[in-house]
Amino acid sequence: MNAINNIIIDGMSFALPLFIMAIGGIYSEKSGVTNLALEGLQGMGAFVGALVAYNLVLKMGPDSRVPYYMAMLFAMIGGAVYSMLHAFLCINLKANQVISGVVINILGMALTSFLTKTINRNFYGAASDKFDLGVSARFTVPGLSKIPVLGAFFTSVYPFEVIIIVIAFIAWYFLYRTAFGLRLRACGDNPHAVDAAGGNVAATRFIAVMVSGALSGLAGMCFAYSISAKFSNDIYMGYGYLAIAGYIFGNWNLLPSLAACLIFGFAKSGGYQLVKALGMPSAYSDLVMTLPYVVTLFLLIFLSKRNQAPKALGEIYDKSKR
Amino acid sequence: MRKNKNALMIAVISVLASLLVGAVVILILGKNPLSAYYNLLQGCGLAPKAKYAGGKSMLTDFSSYVDFWTPMIFAALSCAVAMKAGLFNIGISGQMLVAGFITTATIGYSTIPGIVAKPLAVLIGAFCGMLVGGLIGYLKYKFNINEVVSSIMLNYIASYMISFFIQTRYIDPLSRQSKPISDAARLTFHQIRIGGYKYDLPIGFILAIIAACVIKFIFDKTVLGFELKAVGLNRTAANYAGIRVGRSIVTSMAISGFLAGIAGVTYYLGYFASIQPRTLISTGYDAIAVCLLGSSDPFGILIASFLIEIISKGSTYMSSQAGLESEIASVITGLILLASACNAFFLAKYEGRKRKEA
Repeated sequence: MNAINNIIIDGMSFALPLFIMAIGGIYSEKSGVTNLALEGLQGMGAFVGALVAYNLVLKMGPDSRVPYYMAMLFAMIGGAVYSMLHAFLCINLKANQVISGVVINILGMALTSFLTKTINRNFYGAASDKFDLGVSARFTVPGLSKIPVLGAFFTSVYPFEVIIIVIAFIAWYFLYRTAFGLRLRACGDNPHAVDAAGGNVAATRFIAVMVSGALSGLAGMCFAYSISAKFSNDIYMGYGYLAIAGYIFGNWNLLPSLAACLIFGFAKSGGYQLVKALGMPSAYSDLVMTLPYVVTLFLLIFLSKRNQAPKALGEIYDKSKR
Repeated sequence: MRKNKNALMIAVISVLASLLVGAVVILILGKNPLSAYYNLLQGCGLAPKAKYAGGKSMLTDFSSYVDFWTPMIFAALSCAVAMKAGLFNIGISGQMLVAGFITTATIGYSTIPGIVAKPLAVLIGAFCGMLVGGLIGYLKYKFNINEVVSSIMLNYIASYMISFFIQTRYIDPLSRQSKPISDAARLTFHQIRIGGYKYDLPIGFILAIIAACVIKFIFDKTVLGFELKAVGLNRTAANYAGIRVGRSIVTSMAISGFLAGIAGVTYYLGYFASIQPRTLISTGYDAIAVCLLGSSDPFGILIASFLIEIISKGSTYMSSQAGLESEIASVITGLILLASACNAFFLAKYEGRKRKEA
């Protein structure tokens, strides 16, 4: 019983950040910009957020809740600002979008690890390659958590999970229920039509990429506050790519993508509980770590054929071709 | 020819601009950028150090640098073969690791004499890399899986699986790495003493030069190369022309994996003699920078890899001498990569202006 509870609790706290990152990816790709940069964007967001939180904790003491929420906010800002580089390369400089995404990832990783060390040495006088944050506090909903099995969804919840669910709803509303969302989706399928109807393809795509940056930054911060309890290079564990696999598997739609992320989350937490239950030595946890990736590969094998990417995905928009 | 010249010019400008940005960062940190860059050269044996330990000289450092340079040539060639066919092999690090590990486990710990073990190591490594690369190509062709996503997944799967095997079977409890391989299997003659000084002589370097020439020949003179390039330029057009696109995709990824495999053995059984568990090396990613900078041309890659490897190999010495974090090297590499990603744009701009003038 307890094991099932743990699977649900850990699985949710891993799946939801993946999901919010996948939503960002959907925004960007629905607008026609391939976004392999999620990995770098979440890392850069987490770096900015962690730096802010680390400073605030020094000023306000470890008991204040302000640093936590400020970290979330600044992670989103950091991710959005860094994603402007990807948008600029893809939209204004007409660079190859796949290459640009990979460049953003490599540069992000190099920059954050360099800056973390340099800032630690020059401002805090410590030779350290990380910012310690500690694990976020959790809460349990009274009453609801007493329901058998399902109660685990309301037990030991990270506050960021609530934030993510709220933002996910807002993101869904904007994408499917507003004129802006319609135009954004049209940019990915038929940018020439958008242009003919008086919409601004470049601006819409730019905003979509920035949304993906902000949401990825938030996700990165959540990982920093839960799995790693610090900001360091450990943040680059390929979660960005898992999120990409998630929305490809979800056929660029929100709800199926959520299902994919939940599968990754439960595969991971379920594997850990299995290793624990069977009392296997710690080296076996390496085998478990492969589970989300193996599951992803197999899901992609079964589902990629029927999936339909946005029609103009990855194409550079050229007005003169209209 | 004219196009090559422009590409070269823009590559040079990319590097200079990146070095300039790096210099500004170093200045802000209150260090002297010129001496820091000079430290890079010293670390690679391209400039004399103030003093050397016994048995070492500038040539010792340089031979060690060539040893370090070799895997990068293979890795960048691997990236180039995929890129010519319009594919993006970001799984080079994973393919290197698989090749390195399987070769280490089979040849590295055996008692086969060196004359047999060394060629066998190269062959097994290349074969393993080819299998992984071919698998990625096959997944793309058969199931339409984006090669970037599948190779990243395989990277992590390989990294964790191999870490598991190393930690349960081959771990050296002192160094926390896999046990060192036998000297017979090692592809570098490590610390060979010639005329009073020690050198590291990599066998792989000769192979790397040959590989660069062969790849150049394949792309410029053979049907296979022509087909791969046609697929890379326009898949639909290639299909109409009767080229079997699916087969070309698998072939190019297999060749790419083949080269990545050799990169893996020259790295794990050459420059190093052991494998660190749970670590994917950055060579596979830096190879993309090298490949873009060398505009996917084998000879361009030789020059570009020489340059990028100075930055990454020299950074250790620079870090100890100038008191800068060695990560500044990967930042500069990242900036070069960023600049090369915009190359197409600047090239088009530049050529457009030339045309207007003419």
